[in-house]
Amino acid sequence: MFDSTFDAVVPLLCVILAALAAMGAEAFRARGERMPIGGLGIVGLAGAGVSSVLLWNRNAASFGVILADNFGLFVTLVLVVVGVLTIMFSSQVVRRDALPAGEYYALVLFAIAGMIMMATANDLLVIFLALEILSVAVYVLTGIRRDDQRATEAAFKYFLLGAFSSAFFLYGIAFTYGVAGSTRLDRVGAYLAAQSMSDSPLILMALALLLVGFAFKISAVPFHMWTPDAYEGAPAIVTGFMSTGVKAAAFAAFARVFLSAFEPFSADWAPIVWIIAALTMILGTVVGVAQSNLKRMLAYSSIAHGGYLLVGLVAANEVGKAAILFYLLAYAVTNLAAFGVIALLGSRDRGNDELRDYAGLWHTRPALAALMTVCLLSLGGLPPTVGFIGKWYIFSAAVSAGYYGLAIIGVLTSVVSVFFYLRVVVMMYMAEREVAAAMPPRVTGVSMAALAFAIFVIVYLGVMPTQVLDLASASIATIF
Amino acid sequence: MPLLTLSWLLPLAGAIGLLLVGNADGRRNGAIRWLTLAVSLATLAVTAAVWAGFDPAVAEFQFVERVPWIPAFGIDYSLGVDGISLLLVVLTAFLTPIALLSSWGSIERKVKEFSIFMLALEAAMIGVFVALDLFLFYVFWDAMLVPMYFLIGIWGYDRRIYAAIKFMLYTMAGSVLMLVAILGLAYLHSAATGRYSFDLLALSTLDIAPQTEMWFFLAFTVAFAIKVPLFPFHTWLPDAHVEAPTAGSVILAGVLLKMGTYGLLRFSFPLFPEAAASFAPWLALLAVVGIIYGALVAMVQPDMKKLVAYSSVSHLGFVVLGICAMNAQGVQGAIYLMLAHGVSTGGLFLMVGMLSDRRHTRLIGEYGGLKAVVPRLSAAFLIITLASIGLPMLNGFPGEFLIMLGAFRWDPRFVVAAGLGVILSAVYMLWMVQRVYYGEVRHGENATLPDLHPREWASVLPICAMAVVMGVFPTLFLRPMEASVEALVQQMQATQTLRAMDNPHPPAPRTPTPGNWTAMRPVTRILYSLSRPHSGPSRAERGQKRWLPAKGSGGYQGAVPLGWLIGIGN
Amino acid sequence: MIPLSDYLIVSAILFAIGTAGVFLRRNLITILLSVEIMLNAVNLTFVAFGRYLGSVDGQIIVFFVMTVAAAEAAVGLAIVIALFRHRESLNPEAFTALKW
Repeated sequence: MFDSTFDAVVPLLCVILAALAAMGAEAFRARGERMPIGGLGIVGLAGAGVSSVLLWNRNAASFGVILADNFGLFVTLVLVVVGVLTIMFSSQVVRRDALPAGEYYALVLFAIAGMIMMATANDLLVIFLALEILSVAVYVLTGIRRDDQRATEAAFKYFLLGAFSSAFFLYGIAFTYGVAGSTRLDRVGAYLAAQSMSDSPLILMALALLLVGFAFKISAVPFHMWTPDAYEGAPAIVTGFMSTGVKAAAFAAFARVFLSAFEPFSADWAPIVWIIAALTMILGTVVGVAQSNLKRMLAYSSIAHGGYLLVGLVAANEVGKAAILFYLLAYAVTNLAAFGVIALLGSRDRGNDELRDYAGLWHTRPALAALMTVCLLSLGGLPPTVGFIGKWYIFSAAVSAGYYGLAIIGVLTSVVSVFFYLRVVVMMYMAEREVAAAMPPRVTGVSMAALAFAIFVIVYLGVMPTQVLDLASASIATIF
Repeated sequence: MPLLTLSWLLPLAGAIGLLLVGNADGRRNGAIRWLTLAVSLATLAVTAAVWAGFDPAVAEFQFVERVPWIPAFGIDYSLGVDGISLLLVVLTAFLTPIALLSSWGSIERKVKEFSIFMLALEAAMIGVFVALDLFLFYVFWDAMLVPMYFLIGIWGYDRRIYAAIKFMLYTMAGSVLMLVAILGLAYLHSAATGRYSFDLLALSTLDIAPQTEMWFFLAFTVAFAIKVPLFPFHTWLPDAHVEAPTAGSVILAGVLLKMGTYGLLRFSFPLFPEAAASFAPWLALLAVVGIIYGALVAMVQPDMKKLVAYSSVSHLGFVVLGICAMNAQGVQGAIYLMLAHGVSTGGLFLMVGMLSDRRHTRLIGEYGGLKAVVPRLSAAFLIITLASIGLPMLNGFPGEFLIMLGAFRWDPRFVVAAGLGVILSAVYMLWMVQRVYYGEVRHGENATLPDLHPREWASVLPICAMAVVMGVFPTLFLRPMEASVEALVQQMQATQTLRAMDNPHPPAPRTPTPGNWTAMRPVTRILYSLSRPHSGPSRAERGQKRWLPAKGSGGYQGAVPLGWLIGIGN
Repeated sequence: MIPLSDYLIVSAILFAIGTAGVFLRRNLITILLSVEIMLNAVNLTFVAFGRYLGSVDGQIIVFFVMTVAAAEAAVGLAIVIALFRHRESLNPEAFTALKW
């Protein structure tokens, strides 16, 4: 039906069509009518997932700018999982908070489309466009509760720094274009490889600006200031979505740009990223210790997790590249499930996201408390969870590349991070329930199914990671 | 039948099964308790079967199971026991039912969750002792923390949360550095042979540069030293022991501390023999400091649980000293004392728990004159106390004696200090017994305390019986470990000799015998020169010495070997 | 003919002005405009490079960027309006519900 040049964009098209359908459904919806718009989104995402599986190992390319190689497809699959889980968690939140369902799901799906595009883009300009598609959608999602002042404020802060960093990123693209005469990553790579070892100031300028732009997007220190505010103010499920999806997409693009096109200049950027990674891990955990709001705490923890991912990037060997992919999956599922629990425990008027709101949760909602504990242990990197395998993979990459210092900083900060994850566990299991506290709300079957799925993935990949590890290392064979 | 897999999977399956049991309002507490006990007894039966099938003449690992787990990194699911780990596995399975029984009277709320965590803990502990793959070992090592954290944090005493977090963070801080070292080893293996491996045997043949070896050794050893706990790393122990519920304390003291010494013996020393040689005197020094320090601090404790906790610091110092001596006697004694300490200190915590269940206080000053009120409990307590002190014919004695012997042949000065520790342990233990059980009944409530009831008998009797059996028939327990210990010691010495020959500037060992165990660094040589260089005697020689009857001589097996107790004097 | 470096310097100055504006100005609308200045500085760079390289790619990219900037500005202004309804102020220092 289609020319084969369209193959690579099929996953993207599935999601975009679902998003358009969601918008259309909202437009034609009678007042008060309930439509399964979320289900529509899941169908679209399933289409993206299936087509990604079918495209596996085919290295399809469309228009020269979208490249469905295994690396991109792996990230696409992670994003599909993120999207499905988000929609499943959202079904309860949308009804509870009376959010406009069509708009909400359309925005989520557009954001995922942007993310998939970013992960499979082979052109700096397309990466920029994808970044904007997802960013604009996520800005609006952050502030979707217009009646909530904190959410609106978070949306503005996120928007401002997002736009600001996009300008830096774009400036970096401009210099790359000026130097290499193209924005295609393969051409840029070929040009830079021919030029290697001649450090023209323009190239370094491009490198630095792109680095700043990416560092903003993955909230690496010192470009992380927006993260805690945006994460705290946004609705919990949106926070979960953007802390996993956006980060996964940005890291995919980051890795693709820096490990393929700018690989010849790794001697220039590796030491800088080394420092950024170390600072990110240290600051994320150390400041996280002092937080009393769970969302803010997890915001700092997600900053720290960005640092671990950067370790894989610095290592830049085969193990490191595959480790980034595996860690992205591990982190995405775990973090999203944790935010899912937070979202499910909130009510319309009250987020219930302060640490003390979790006192005695074990007595009122033992299943949720247990699931949350598994998520937190996985974030802390304790076996037998996927978080442990992910950390182990990242650090073995660092060690085999000779970065013992980074590995040691990494493991020590993960011990510190266990301290603040345990604070939540202490609250849930060992603190007494406040008498006045309201019963946490009921959890619907769909949300519970999403949680159960996430926990299954966390434990299963913690015990039997082989297949996915192999998949991750196969994914990087086609690129780089 | 894969007995070892069964031995750790059985309790885990029990824990998962319990997850599915509904227990609203504690309606099924009774059934859950019995079920948990049954699972732990079945585990004990499995480990007993392992012991029964164990061939003591073989030094290598037995019951080996090896299945590729993560092939891309050469990670295997590989299990096995040798003489060093066999009895520790049995000890774990032996203490868990006893700890569970002890909880029947004191744990009333959330019984299901308590049982789940206890069984999960047992699974992880057994896993630690049987894992032969470093990755697998680390997984069990870290996984064990989680149930213990919950056991302390939920069912503990007043400062339980502080103690639980401290326990977790201390142990993790040490173990993550070990993780880096494990990864480093695997990387070195891949650099040398082209593929990753986490296999203990493959890694122990690696040739590591001295500088790297030193760092790796330190990373491993600090992780284990925290667990032991060796002197400056011990501060988590009193908190955790005191705040944990009785069952938790029994397991902590009985098994968890042994993981540290087991790790030293299984990983730190054999993987990094040269570094081990140069650091052994310092470790021994810390051990001796711990022996004296633990004893002195125990002496002034008003709280019985704390006293027992500090006595553990002291006793584990002996174990480390024995390991550092790295000769057949020292190592055998160390393993023996690990087992003995597990039984007797587990028993002490058990009975302190019984007292505190009755009176809701652990302060020594609150008791007095209990001998007349609870004579059976007092008798049992006295037996275990004497065992802990190291009275001959009870289980503490052979271990301490062998350690002293081994240490004496290595460096007599350590023995002097350790001997002081033995005397001090008698002082603080007996003083506590005197204040608690003898004298007048000073507090009215104490006059009506009930004596042991059947359930408590069921947990106290096995401990007392084991204390006596281990004291009277030590060969029963020493036989299985002989071959493995012998092989370990010889391998250590052979590696050192080999590497010393490779070294272009060898530090000139004083004698060309394989006994140059410590003759590596100047400071060590000085220490060493004070002692007689001595290679580990062959098993035949040792048989002639008569302090341990030769294998197969047959005479000792049935009869009570009073003879060798007297023979020691020769 | 004006050399490439002059264009680059001008655009760099513009970019710096925009950056400074984001940090220094105390009005949300002005801050938004400062971001626009940054984007347009980049546009200038693209056009200059395109002309220098003799390819039209640079100019085409500018159209993309302008479209994106318009979309972004629309969302940004909408958020500013929502904010204004809460606080009746456009001074960023008034927004203190979150730690900054």
